[in-house]
Amino acid sequence: MTTNATAPIWLLEGQVGLCPCGCIGRRKRGSFVEKTISGASGFLQQAMFSDDVAAERGLLQRIEPRAKLLGLLGLLVAAALVRHIPVLLALYAGTLLVAAASRLSLSFFVKRVWLFIPVFTGIVVLPATFSFITHGHIVVPFGTWFGHRVGMTSQGLTAAGLIVTRVAVSISLVVLLTLTTPWNRLLAALRALALPRMFVLVLAMAYRYVFHLLSAVSEMYTARQARTVGADTDATSGRRFVAASAGALFGKSHALSEEVHMAMLARGYTGNVRTIAPARMAARDGLWALACVAAALATLGVDRALGR
Amino acid sequence: MPSAADDLLVVDDVSYSYLGRFQALDKVSLTVRRGEKVALLGANGCGKSTLLKVVDGLVFPDSGTYRAFGSEVTEDNLEDEQFNQGFRGRVGFIFQNSDAQVFSPSVREELAFGPLNMGLPRDEIEARVADTLTMLDIDDLAERAPYQLSGGEKKRVAIASVLVMNPEVLLFDEPTAALDPRTQQWLMELIVELNQAGKTIVLATHDLDTLGVLADRCLVFSEEHRIVGEGAPAELLAERQLLLDVNLIHEHSHLHGATVHNHVHGLDHHVEATAAG
Repeated sequence: MTTNATAPIWLLEGQVGLCPCGCIGRRKRGSFVEKTISGASGFLQQAMFSDDVAAERGLLQRIEPRAKLLGLLGLLVAAALVRHIPVLLALYAGTLLVAAASRLSLSFFVKRVWLFIPVFTGIVVLPATFSFITHGHIVVPFGTWFGHRVGMTSQGLTAAGLIVTRVAVSISLVVLLTLTTPWNRLLAALRALALPRMFVLVLAMAYRYVFHLLSAVSEMYTARQARTVGADTDATSGRRFVAASAGALFGKSHALSEEVHMAMLARGYTGNVRTIAPARMAARDGLWALACVAAALATLGVDRALGR
Repeated sequence: MPSAADDLLVVDDVSYSYLGRFQALDKVSLTVRRGEKVALLGANGCGKSTLLKVVDGLVFPDSGTYRAFGSEVTEDNLEDEQFNQGFRGRVGFIFQNSDAQVFSPSVREELAFGPLNMGLPRDEIEARVADTLTMLDIDDLAERAPYQLSGGEKKRVAIASVLVMNPEVLLFDEPTAALDPRTQQWLMELIVELNQAGKTIVLATHDLDTLGVLADRCLVFSEEHRIVGEGAPAELLAERQLLLDVNLIHEHSHLHGATVHNHVHGLDHHVEATAAG
Protein backbone atom coordinates (compact mmCIF):
# COMPACT_ATOMS: atom_id res chain seq x y z
CA MET A 1 0.00 0.00 0.00
CA THR A 2 1.35 3.40 -0.90
CA THR A 3 0.58 6.34 1.29
CA ASN A 4 -1.18 9.15 -0.50
CA ALA A 5 -0.87 11.48 2.44
CA THR A 6 0.56 14.85 1.57
CA ALA A 7 1.32 17.57 4.04
CA PRO A 8 -0.58 20.80 3.42
CA ILE A 9 1.56 23.92 3.12
CA TRP A 10 0.28 25.46 6.39
CA LEU A 11 1.58 22.45 8.31
CA LEU A 12 5.09 23.15 7.10
CA GLU A 13 5.05 26.78 8.13
CA GLY A 14 5.83 27.85 11.69
CA GLN A 15 2.98 28.93 13.96
CA VAL A 16 3.12 32.36 15.55
CA GLY A 17 4.41 31.60 19.02
CA LEU A 18 5.34 33.52 22.10
CA CYS A 19 5.64 37.25 21.61
CA PRO A 20 9.28 38.33 22.10
CA CYS A 21 8.12 40.83 24.72
CA GLY A 22 7.39 37.93 27.13
CA CYS A 23 4.48 37.34 29.57
CA ILE A 24 2.26 40.38 29.25
CA GLY A 25 -1.07 38.64 28.68
CA ARG A 26 -4.01 38.67 31.10
CA ARG A 27 -3.99 36.01 33.81
CA LYS A 28 -7.02 34.07 34.98
CA ARG A 29 -7.58 31.47 37.63
CA GLY A 30 -8.33 27.89 36.55
CA SER A 31 -11.87 26.57 36.10
CA PHE A 32 -13.91 24.33 38.40
CA VAL A 33 -12.83 21.36 36.26
CA GLU A 34 -9.18 22.04 37.02
CA LYS A 35 -9.91 22.31 40.74
CA THR A 36 -11.86 19.04 40.73
CA ILE A 37 -9.17 17.20 38.82
CA SER A 38 -6.40 18.51 41.03
CA GLY A 39 -8.52 17.46 44.01
CA ALA A 40 -8.74 13.96 42.55
CA SER A 41 -5.00 13.72 42.02
CA GLY A 42 -4.55 15.05 45.56
CA PHE A 43 -6.67 12.13 46.75
CA LEU A 44 -4.39 9.73 44.85
CA GLN A 45 -1.31 11.24 46.44
CA GLN A 46 -2.92 11.08 49.86
CA ALA A 47 -3.73 7.40 49.38
CA MET A 48 -0.08 6.74 48.49
CA PHE A 49 0.98 8.75 51.54
CA SER A 50 -1.40 6.72 53.73
CA ASP A 51 0.26 3.53 52.55
CA ASP A 52 3.65 4.96 53.48
CA VAL A 53 2.40 5.86 56.94
CA ALA A 54 0.88 2.41 57.31
CA ALA A 55 4.29 0.91 56.58
CA GLU A 56 5.95 2.79 59.49
CA ARG A 57 6.85 0.81 62.59
CA GLY A 58 4.75 2.64 65.17
CA LEU A 59 2.48 1.33 67.92
CA LEU A 60 -0.68 0.75 65.90
CA GLN A 61 1.17 -0.49 62.82
CA ARG A 62 2.40 -3.47 64.86
CA ILE A 63 -1.09 -4.53 65.88
CA GLU A 64 -2.98 -7.06 63.78
CA PRO A 65 -5.78 -5.29 61.82
CA ARG A 66 -8.52 -7.52 63.27
CA ALA A 67 -7.46 -6.63 66.82
CA LYS A 68 -7.32 -2.96 65.81
CA LEU A 69 -10.76 -3.15 64.25
CA LEU A 70 -12.27 -4.86 67.31
CA GLY A 71 -10.69 -2.37 69.69
CA LEU A 72 -11.86 0.52 67.54
CA LEU A 73 -15.43 -0.79 67.46
CA GLY A 74 -15.44 -1.00 71.27
CA LEU A 75 -14.18 2.56 71.64
CA LEU A 76 -16.62 3.85 69.01
CA VAL A 77 -19.55 2.38 70.93
CA ALA A 78 -18.23 3.96 74.12
CA ALA A 79 -17.85 7.36 72.41
CA ALA A 80 -21.41 7.11 71.14
CA LEU A 81 -22.78 6.47 74.66
CA VAL A 82 -20.75 9.04 76.61
CA ARG A 83 -22.79 12.06 77.82
CA HIS A 84 -20.09 14.36 79.22
CA ILE A 85 -17.83 16.59 77.15
CA PRO A 86 -14.81 16.28 79.53
CA VAL A 87 -14.92 12.48 79.18
CA LEU A 88 -15.00 12.79 75.40
CA LEU A 89 -12.11 15.27 75.53
CA ALA A 90 -10.13 12.77 77.60
CA LEU A 91 -10.85 10.13 74.94
CA TYR A 92 -9.72 12.58 72.26
CA ALA A 93 -6.49 13.21 74.16
CA GLY A 94 -6.03 9.43 74.21
CA THR A 95 -6.33 9.27 70.40
CA LEU A 96 -3.69 12.02 70.13
CA LEU A 97 -1.34 10.01 72.35
CA VAL A 98 -1.86 6.85 70.29
CA ALA A 99 -1.34 8.85 67.07
CA ALA A 100 1.98 10.15 68.41
CA ALA A 101 3.00 6.63 69.47
CA SER A 102 2.15 5.43 65.95
CA ARG A 103 4.50 8.06 64.46
CA LEU A 104 1.71 9.97 62.74
CA SER A 105 2.27 13.66 62.14
CA LEU A 106 0.08 15.26 64.83
CA SER A 107 -0.61 18.39 62.77
CA PHE A 108 -1.77 16.23 59.82
CA PHE A 109 -3.85 14.05 62.13
CA VAL A 110 -5.55 17.00 63.83
CA LYS A 111 -6.15 18.83 60.53
CA ARG A 112 -7.60 15.73 58.92
CA VAL A 113 -10.20 15.51 61.68
CA TRP A 114 -11.00 19.16 62.34
CA LEU A 115 -11.08 20.45 58.76
CA PHE A 116 -14.34 18.64 58.04
CA ILE A 117 -16.11 18.83 61.38
CA PRO A 118 -17.03 22.56 61.21
CA VAL A 119 -18.28 22.08 57.64
CA PHE A 120 -20.44 19.00 58.19
CA THR A 121 -21.29 18.64 61.88
CA GLY A 122 -21.06 22.34 62.73
CA ILE A 123 -23.72 23.36 60.21
CA VAL A 124 -26.01 20.55 61.34
CA VAL A 125 -25.83 21.35 65.04
CA LEU A 126 -25.77 25.15 64.76
CA PRO A 127 -29.60 25.58 64.88
CA ALA A 128 -29.76 23.48 68.05
CA THR A 129 -27.82 26.17 69.90
CA PHE A 130 -30.56 28.80 69.42
CA SER A 131 -33.16 29.51 72.08
CA PHE A 132 -36.11 28.83 69.75
CA ILE A 133 -34.89 25.22 69.25
CA THR A 134 -33.32 24.45 72.62
CA HIS A 135 -34.93 26.42 75.43
CA GLY A 136 -32.86 27.44 78.42
CA HIS A 137 -30.54 30.03 79.83
CA ILE A 138 -29.44 32.47 77.11
CA VAL A 139 -25.69 33.10 77.27
CA VAL A 140 -25.17 34.77 73.87
CA PRO A 141 -28.13 37.17 73.40
CA PHE A 142 -29.10 38.35 69.87
CA GLY A 143 -31.91 40.73 70.94
CA THR A 144 -35.69 40.38 71.14
CA TRP A 145 -38.18 38.96 68.67
CA PHE A 146 -41.95 39.44 69.24
CA GLY A 147 -41.17 40.37 72.81
CA HIS A 148 -39.02 37.27 73.49
CA ARG A 149 -35.29 37.29 74.10
CA VAL A 150 -33.45 35.22 71.50
CA GLY A 151 -29.87 33.95 71.45
CA MET A 152 -27.74 30.93 72.07
CA THR A 153 -28.60 28.93 75.17
CA SER A 154 -26.12 27.20 77.44
CA GLN A 155 -28.14 23.97 77.06
CA GLY A 156 -28.00 24.27 73.27
CA LEU A 157 -24.27 25.00 73.27
CA THR A 158 -23.62 22.03 75.55
CA ALA A 159 -25.64 19.72 73.32
CA ALA A 160 -23.82 21.02 70.21
CA GLY A 161 -20.43 20.71 71.93
CA LEU A 162 -21.26 17.15 72.93
CA ILE A 163 -22.11 16.19 69.35
CA VAL A 164 -19.06 17.94 67.88
CA THR A 165 -16.63 16.32 70.32
CA ARG A 166 -18.31 12.94 69.86
CA VAL A 167 -17.92 13.22 66.08
CA ALA A 168 -14.30 14.39 66.51
CA VAL A 169 -13.46 11.39 68.70
CA SER A 170 -15.21 8.96 66.34
CA ILE A 171 -13.47 10.35 63.25
CA SER A 172 -10.12 10.36 65.06
CA LEU A 173 -10.55 6.69 65.91
CA VAL A 174 -11.43 5.79 62.31
CA VAL A 175 -8.57 7.91 60.93
CA LEU A 176 -6.19 6.16 63.34
CA LEU A 177 -7.28 2.81 61.96
CA THR A 178 -7.19 3.76 58.27
CA LEU A 179 -3.89 5.62 58.46
CA THR A 180 -2.05 2.81 60.22
CA THR A 181 -3.46 -0.13 58.26
CA PRO A 182 -2.72 -0.90 54.60
CA TRP A 183 -5.99 -1.05 52.67
CA ASN A 184 -5.63 -4.70 51.68
CA ARG A 185 -5.09 -5.77 55.30
CA LEU A 186 -8.05 -3.71 56.41
CA LEU A 187 -10.19 -5.57 53.88
CA ALA A 188 -8.88 -8.90 55.17
CA ALA A 189 -9.84 -7.78 58.69
CA LEU A 190 -13.36 -6.90 57.53
CA ARG A 191 -13.67 -10.37 56.02
CA ALA A 192 -12.49 -11.98 59.23
CA LEU A 193 -15.22 -10.10 61.10
CA ALA A 194 -17.90 -11.90 59.11
CA LEU A 195 -18.61 -9.19 56.55
CA PRO A 196 -19.89 -11.00 53.41
CA ARG A 197 -16.97 -11.88 51.12
CA MET A 198 -18.76 -10.70 48.01
CA PHE A 199 -19.27 -7.31 49.62
CA VAL A 200 -15.57 -7.08 50.49
CA LEU A 201 -14.59 -8.20 46.96
CA VAL A 202 -16.75 -5.50 45.39
CA LEU A 203 -15.32 -2.92 47.79
CA ALA A 204 -11.76 -4.00 47.01
CA MET A 205 -12.31 -3.87 43.26
CA ALA A 206 -14.05 -0.51 43.42
CA TYR A 207 -11.10 0.92 45.35
CA ARG A 208 -8.56 -0.69 43.03
CA TYR A 209 -10.18 0.62 39.85
CA VAL A 210 -11.00 4.06 41.23
CA PHE A 211 -7.26 4.71 40.94
CA HIS A 212 -7.17 3.43 37.39
CA LEU A 213 -10.14 5.51 36.30
CA LEU A 214 -8.96 8.59 38.18
CA SER A 215 -5.68 8.50 36.31
CA ALA A 216 -7.66 8.13 33.07
CA VAL A 217 -9.62 11.29 33.96
CA SER A 218 -6.41 13.14 34.80
CA GLU A 219 -4.91 12.09 31.47
CA MET A 220 -8.00 13.24 29.58
CA TYR A 221 -7.87 16.58 31.32
CA THR A 222 -4.13 16.98 30.74
CA ALA A 223 -4.66 16.22 27.05
CA ARG A 224 -7.38 18.87 26.92
CA GLN A 225 -5.26 21.37 28.80
CA ALA A 226 -2.32 20.79 26.45
CA ARG A 227 -4.53 21.90 23.55
CA THR A 228 -6.24 24.78 25.34
CA VAL A 229 -4.94 28.16 24.28
CA GLY A 230 -5.48 30.95 26.79
CA ALA A 231 -7.03 30.73 30.25
CA ASP A 232 -9.42 27.84 30.78
CA THR A 233 -12.15 29.49 32.82
CA ASP A 234 -15.23 28.98 30.67
CA ALA A 235 -17.75 27.12 32.84
CA THR A 236 -19.89 26.05 29.84
CA SER A 237 -17.00 24.35 28.06
CA GLY A 238 -15.95 22.94 31.43
CA ARG A 239 -19.38 21.36 31.90
CA ARG A 240 -19.25 20.03 28.34
CA PHE A 241 -15.89 18.46 29.09
CA VAL A 242 -17.19 16.89 32.30
CA ALA A 243 -20.19 15.42 30.46
CA ALA A 244 -18.04 14.11 27.61
CA SER A 245 -15.43 12.59 29.90
CA ALA A 246 -18.14 11.04 32.12
CA GLY A 247 -19.49 9.33 28.99
CA ALA A 248 -16.05 8.23 27.85
CA LEU A 249 -15.25 6.98 31.31
CA PHE A 250 -18.48 5.02 31.50
CA GLY A 251 -17.59 3.25 28.24
CA LYS A 252 -14.06 2.67 29.46
CA SER A 253 -15.14 1.25 32.81
CA HIS A 254 -17.69 -1.00 31.11
CA ALA A 255 -15.05 -2.45 28.76
CA LEU A 256 -12.63 -2.82 31.65
CA SER A 257 -15.18 -4.58 33.84
CA GLU A 258 -15.81 -7.10 31.07
CA GLU A 259 -12.10 -7.71 30.70
CA VAL A 260 -11.60 -8.07 34.45
CA HIS A 261 -14.44 -10.57 34.60
CA MET A 262 -12.83 -12.58 31.81
CA ALA A 263 -9.49 -12.48 33.64
CA MET A 264 -11.26 -13.81 36.74
CA LEU A 265 -13.04 -16.57 34.80
CA ALA A 266 -9.73 -17.54 33.17
CA ARG A 267 -8.35 -18.29 36.62
CA GLY A 268 -11.22 -20.48 37.67
CA TYR A 269 -13.65 -17.97 39.24
CA THR A 270 -17.16 -19.40 39.25
CA GLY A 271 -18.94 -16.95 41.52
CA ASN A 272 -17.61 -18.15 44.88
CA VAL A 273 -15.23 -15.72 46.54
CA ARG A 274 -12.30 -17.52 48.15
CA THR A 275 -9.59 -15.72 50.07
CA ILE A 276 -6.31 -16.51 51.77
CA ALA A 277 -6.45 -17.04 55.51
CA PRO A 278 -5.40 -14.01 57.55
CA ALA A 279 -2.28 -14.22 59.71
CA ARG A 280 -2.61 -15.57 63.23
CA MET A 281 -3.11 -13.09 66.04
CA ALA A 282 -0.19 -12.67 68.45
CA ALA A 283 -0.46 -12.19 72.20
CA ARG A 284 0.10 -8.43 71.86
CA ASP A 285 -2.86 -8.21 69.47
CA GLY A 286 -5.12 -9.85 72.04
CA LEU A 287 -3.72 -7.52 74.70
CA TRP A 288 -4.45 -4.50 72.52
CA ALA A 289 -8.04 -5.56 71.93
CA LEU A 290 -8.51 -6.20 75.66
CA ALA A 291 -6.94 -2.84 76.54
CA CYS A 292 -9.32 -1.09 74.15
CA VAL A 293 -12.35 -2.86 75.59
CA ALA A 294 -11.15 -2.03 79.13
CA ALA A 295 -10.65 1.62 78.12
CA ALA A 296 -14.14 1.68 76.63
CA LEU A 297 -15.67 0.23 79.81
CA ALA A 298 -13.66 2.59 82.03
CA THR A 299 -14.83 5.56 79.93
CA LEU A 300 -18.43 4.51 80.30
CA GLY A 301 -17.92 3.91 84.06
CA VAL A 302 -16.48 7.40 84.59
CA ASP A 303 -19.26 8.90 82.48
CA ARG A 304 -21.94 7.20 84.57
CA ALA A 305 -20.17 8.19 87.78
CA LEU A 306 -20.37 11.85 86.70
CA GLY A 307 -24.17 11.48 86.57
CA ARG A 308 -26.56 12.95 84.01
CA MET B 1 5.59 -37.42 13.29
CA PRO B 2 3.26 -36.07 16.02
CA SER B 3 0.37 -38.34 16.98
CA ALA B 4 -3.26 -37.31 17.53
CA ALA B 5 -2.67 -37.78 21.27
CA ASP B 6 -0.28 -34.82 21.11
CA ASP B 7 -3.04 -32.55 19.83
CA LEU B 8 -3.89 -30.59 22.96
CA LEU B 9 -6.13 -27.91 21.51
CA VAL B 10 -8.15 -28.37 18.33
CA VAL B 11 -10.14 -25.45 16.93
CA ASP B 12 -12.19 -26.60 13.95
CA ASP B 13 -13.85 -24.26 11.44
CA VAL B 14 -14.75 -21.70 14.06
CA SER B 15 -16.57 -18.46 13.26
CA TYR B 16 -17.36 -15.74 15.75
CA SER B 17 -18.80 -12.26 15.55
CA TYR B 18 -19.26 -9.64 18.27
CA LEU B 19 -22.90 -8.68 18.86
CA GLY B 20 -23.75 -10.87 15.90
CA ARG B 21 -22.58 -8.09 13.56
CA PHE B 22 -18.85 -7.53 13.78
CA GLN B 23 -17.04 -10.54 12.36
CA ALA B 24 -13.92 -11.48 14.33
CA LEU B 25 -13.23 -15.05 13.14
CA ASP B 26 -14.25 -16.58 9.82
CA LYS B 27 -13.95 -20.39 9.58
CA VAL B 28 -10.69 -20.57 11.49
CA SER B 29 -9.00 -23.88 12.30
CA LEU B 30 -5.99 -24.39 14.54
CA THR B 31 -4.33 -27.38 16.16
CA VAL B 32 -1.86 -26.88 18.99
CA ARG B 33 0.40 -29.82 19.81
CA ARG B 34 2.02 -30.64 23.11
CA GLY B 35 5.21 -28.70 23.79
CA GLU B 36 5.21 -26.42 20.75
CA LYS B 37 5.35 -22.65 20.48
CA VAL B 38 2.69 -21.33 18.16
CA ALA B 39 2.41 -17.69 17.11
CA LEU B 40 -0.78 -16.16 15.73
CA LEU B 41 0.24 -13.33 13.45
CA GLY B 42 -1.92 -10.58 12.10
CA ALA B 43 -2.62 -6.87 11.95
CA ASN B 44 -4.68 -5.05 14.58
CA GLY B 45 -8.29 -6.21 14.70
CA CYS B 46 -7.74 -9.34 12.59
CA GLY B 47 -9.13 -11.72 15.25
CA LYS B 48 -6.05 -13.20 16.91
CA SER B 49 -7.04 -12.03 20.41
CA THR B 50 -10.56 -13.37 19.87
CA LEU B 51 -9.10 -16.74 18.88
CA LEU B 52 -7.08 -16.78 22.12
CA LYS B 53 -10.30 -16.07 24.03
CA VAL B 54 -12.00 -18.97 22.25
CA VAL B 55 -9.04 -21.20 23.13
CA ASP B 56 -9.33 -20.11 26.77
CA GLY B 57 -13.08 -20.77 26.85
CA LEU B 58 -13.94 -17.12 27.44
CA VAL B 59 -15.99 -16.63 24.30
CA PHE B 60 -17.82 -19.39 22.48
CA PRO B 61 -17.97 -19.86 18.71
CA ASP B 62 -21.09 -19.05 16.68
CA SER B 63 -20.25 -22.09 14.53
CA GLY B 64 -17.54 -24.75 14.51
CA THR B 65 -16.11 -26.67 17.47
CA TYR B 66 -13.29 -26.36 19.96
CA ARG B 67 -11.82 -29.36 21.79
CA ALA B 68 -9.19 -29.18 24.52
CA PHE B 69 -7.41 -32.24 25.92
CA GLY B 70 -9.91 -34.45 24.09
CA SER B 71 -13.10 -32.84 25.42
CA GLU B 72 -15.29 -30.30 23.74
CA VAL B 73 -15.20 -26.90 25.43
CA THR B 74 -18.65 -25.32 25.53
CA GLU B 75 -20.36 -22.85 27.82
CA ASP B 76 -22.43 -25.69 29.17
CA ASN B 77 -19.41 -27.92 29.89
CA LEU B 78 -17.61 -25.11 31.68
CA GLU B 79 -20.50 -24.83 34.10
CA ASP B 80 -19.54 -28.29 35.34
CA GLU B 81 -17.33 -27.61 38.37
CA GLN B 82 -14.96 -30.52 37.78
CA PHE B 83 -14.53 -29.77 34.06
CA ASN B 84 -14.09 -26.06 34.81
CA GLN B 85 -11.36 -26.68 37.39
CA GLY B 86 -9.60 -29.18 35.13
CA PHE B 87 -9.68 -26.91 32.08
CA ARG B 88 -8.85 -23.64 33.88
CA GLY B 89 -6.00 -25.33 35.70
CA ARG B 90 -4.47 -26.56 32.45
CA VAL B 91 -4.81 -23.44 30.32
CA GLY B 92 -3.48 -20.08 31.50
CA PHE B 93 -4.09 -16.76 29.76
CA ILE B 94 -1.87 -13.69 30.10
CA PHE B 95 -3.92 -10.73 28.91
CA GLN B 96 -2.44 -7.84 26.98
CA ASN B 97 -3.87 -5.37 29.49
CA SER B 98 -2.25 -6.22 32.81
CA ASP B 99 -4.50 -3.72 34.55
CA ALA B 100 -7.47 -5.97 33.84
CA GLN B 101 -5.63 -9.02 35.08
CA VAL B 102 -4.23 -7.59 38.31
CA PHE B 103 -7.46 -6.88 40.18
CA SER B 104 -6.79 -7.98 43.78
CA PRO B 105 -5.92 -5.57 46.60
CA SER B 106 -2.36 -6.93 46.93
CA VAL B 107 0.12 -8.89 44.83
CA ARG B 108 0.06 -11.82 47.27
CA GLU B 109 -3.73 -12.08 47.02
CA GLU B 110 -3.50 -11.77 43.25
CA LEU B 111 -1.24 -14.81 43.08
CA ALA B 112 -3.44 -16.76 45.49
CA PHE B 113 -6.62 -16.09 43.47
CA GLY B 114 -6.16 -18.88 40.90
CA PRO B 115 -4.95 -21.62 43.28
CA LEU B 116 -7.80 -20.78 45.70
CA ASN B 117 -10.31 -21.27 42.89
CA MET B 118 -8.62 -24.56 42.01
CA GLY B 119 -9.37 -25.68 45.56
CA LEU B 120 -5.75 -26.37 46.53
CA PRO B 121 -4.91 -26.82 50.24
CA ARG B 122 -3.96 -23.59 52.03
CA ASP B 123 -0.40 -24.74 52.82
CA GLU B 124 0.26 -25.60 49.20
CA ILE B 125 -1.14 -22.26 48.05
CA GLU B 126 1.16 -20.39 50.41
CA ALA B 127 4.17 -22.42 49.27
CA ARG B 128 3.33 -21.94 45.58
CA VAL B 129 2.80 -18.21 45.99
CA ALA B 130 6.14 -17.86 47.80
CA ASP B 131 7.97 -19.93 45.14
CA THR B 132 6.44 -18.00 42.24
CA LEU B 133 7.24 -14.64 43.85
CA THR B 134 10.87 -15.75 44.17
CA MET B 135 11.02 -17.25 40.68
CA LEU B 136 9.88 -14.00 39.06
CA ASP B 137 11.96 -11.91 41.47
CA ILE B 138 8.99 -9.99 42.84
CA ASP B 139 9.23 -10.95 46.55
CA ASP B 140 9.48 -7.31 47.51
CA LEU B 141 6.20 -6.52 45.75
CA ALA B 142 4.16 -9.11 47.68
CA GLU B 143 2.25 -6.67 49.89
CA ARG B 144 2.03 -3.86 47.32
CA ALA B 145 -1.24 -2.66 45.82
CA PRO B 146 -1.63 -2.78 42.01
CA TYR B 147 -1.71 1.02 41.67
CA GLN B 148 1.78 1.15 43.17
CA LEU B 149 3.26 -1.02 40.41
CA SER B 150 4.93 0.07 37.17
CA GLY B 151 3.85 -1.36 33.80
CA GLY B 152 6.69 -3.91 33.79
CA GLU B 153 5.97 -4.97 37.38
CA LYS B 154 2.28 -5.41 36.59
CA LYS B 155 3.23 -7.66 33.67
CA ARG B 156 5.39 -9.78 35.99
CA VAL B 157 2.56 -10.03 38.51
CA ALA B 158 0.08 -10.97 35.77
CA ILE B 159 2.40 -13.73 34.55
CA ALA B 160 3.06 -14.90 38.11
CA SER B 161 -0.69 -15.04 38.81
CA VAL B 162 -1.05 -17.53 35.95
CA LEU B 163 2.18 -19.50 36.45
CA VAL B 164 1.27 -20.18 40.08
CA MET B 165 -1.56 -22.40 38.75
CA ASN B 166 1.03 -24.45 36.83
CA PRO B 167 -0.91 -24.67 33.55
CA GLU B 168 0.18 -26.93 30.69
CA VAL B 169 -0.70 -24.38 28.04
CA LEU B 170 0.11 -20.68 28.29
CA LEU B 171 -1.67 -18.18 26.09
CA PHE B 172 -0.02 -14.77 25.69
CA ASP B 173 -1.84 -11.86 24.06
CA GLU B 174 0.72 -9.43 22.59
CA PRO B 175 3.30 -10.35 25.23
CA THR B 176 5.96 -7.83 24.27
CA ALA B 177 3.68 -4.87 23.54
CA ALA B 178 4.33 -1.65 25.49
CA LEU B 179 7.21 -3.07 27.51
CA ASP B 180 10.62 -1.49 27.91
CA PRO B 181 13.50 -3.34 26.19
CA ARG B 182 14.80 -4.97 29.40
CA THR B 183 11.36 -6.31 30.41
CA GLN B 184 10.77 -7.41 26.81
CA GLN B 185 14.02 -9.39 26.80
CA TRP B 186 13.24 -10.88 30.21
CA LEU B 187 9.81 -11.99 29.05
CA MET B 188 11.15 -13.55 25.84
CA GLU B 189 13.72 -15.53 27.82
CA LEU B 190 11.01 -16.59 30.28
CA ILE B 191 8.72 -17.83 27.49
CA VAL B 192 11.58 -19.88 25.99
CA GLU B 193 12.49 -21.30 29.41
CA LEU B 194 8.88 -22.24 30.13
CA ASN B 195 8.66 -23.96 26.77
CA GLN B 196 11.86 -25.87 27.46
CA ALA B 197 10.33 -26.94 30.77
CA GLY B 198 7.50 -28.56 28.80
CA LYS B 199 4.87 -25.82 28.63
CA THR B 200 2.96 -25.34 25.39
CA ILE B 201 2.92 -21.72 24.28
CA VAL B 202 0.38 -19.94 22.08
CA LEU B 203 0.90 -16.25 21.51
CA ALA B 204 -0.75 -13.53 19.49
CA THR B 205 1.55 -10.88 18.10
CA HIS B 206 2.34 -8.62 15.20
CA ASP B 207 5.95 -8.21 16.28
CA LEU B 208 7.90 -10.05 13.59
CA ASP B 209 11.30 -9.34 15.18
CA THR B 210 10.73 -11.73 18.07
CA LEU B 211 9.26 -14.59 16.02
CA GLY B 212 12.50 -16.50 15.54
CA VAL B 213 12.82 -16.86 19.32
CA LEU B 214 9.19 -17.11 20.38
CA ALA B 215 7.68 -19.48 17.81
CA ASP B 216 8.26 -22.85 16.17
CA ARG B 217 5.20 -22.45 13.98
CA CYS B 218 3.20 -19.42 12.89
CA LEU B 219 -0.33 -18.93 11.60
CA VAL B 220 -1.08 -15.79 9.64
CA PHE B 221 -4.42 -14.01 9.88
CA SER B 222 -5.74 -11.89 7.05
CA GLU B 223 -7.58 -8.66 7.74
CA GLU B 224 -10.71 -10.59 6.66
CA HIS B 225 -10.35 -12.70 9.86
CA ARG B 226 -9.24 -15.91 8.10
CA ILE B 227 -6.05 -17.91 8.43
CA VAL B 228 -4.17 -17.52 5.17
CA GLY B 229 -0.74 -18.92 5.91
CA GLU B 230 1.08 -21.36 8.15
CA GLY B 231 4.69 -22.37 8.56
CA ALA B 232 7.97 -22.00 10.43
CA PRO B 233 8.99 -18.38 11.15
CA ALA B 234 11.81 -18.40 8.56
CA GLU B 235 9.50 -19.77 5.84
CA LEU B 236 6.80 -17.20 6.53
CA LEU B 237 9.15 -14.27 6.77
CA ALA B 238 10.38 -15.19 3.29
CA GLU B 239 6.85 -14.76 1.89
CA ARG B 240 7.00 -11.00 1.43
CA GLN B 241 3.86 -10.72 -0.66
CA LEU B 242 1.77 -12.61 1.93
CA LEU B 243 3.05 -10.38 4.74
CA LEU B 244 2.29 -7.30 2.66
CA ASP B 245 -1.24 -8.53 1.88
CA VAL B 246 -2.10 -9.14 5.53
CA ASN B 247 -0.64 -5.78 6.63
CA LEU B 248 2.18 -7.27 8.72
CA ILE B 249 4.84 -5.36 6.84
CA HIS B 250 4.82 -2.19 4.82
CA GLU B 251 6.32 -1.92 1.39
CA HIS B 252 9.08 0.17 2.94
CA SER B 253 9.93 -2.70 5.32
CA HIS B 254 12.97 -4.81 4.54
CA LEU B 255 13.59 -8.27 5.87
CA HIS B 256 17.12 -9.12 6.95
CA GLY B 257 16.97 -12.79 7.87
CA ALA B 258 14.49 -12.92 10.75
CA THR B 259 14.67 -9.20 11.38
CA VAL B 260 12.24 -6.71 9.91
CA HIS B 261 13.73 -3.35 9.21
CA ASN B 262 11.66 -0.27 8.37
CA HIS B 263 12.83 2.73 6.43
CA VAL B 264 10.75 5.80 6.99
CA HIS B 265 10.18 7.46 3.67
CA GLY B 266 9.56 11.00 4.84
CA LEU B 267 7.13 13.61 3.73
CA ASP B 268 9.67 15.55 1.71
CA HIS B 269 9.06 14.04 -1.72
CA HIS B 270 5.30 14.37 -1.26
CA VAL B 271 5.79 17.92 -0.10
CA GLU B 272 7.80 18.73 -3.14
CA ALA B 273 5.05 17.25 -5.29
CA THR B 274 2.38 19.30 -3.54
CA ALA B 275 4.39 22.47 -3.72
CA ALA B 276 5.09 21.89 -7.40
CA GLY B 277 1.42 21.10 -8.02
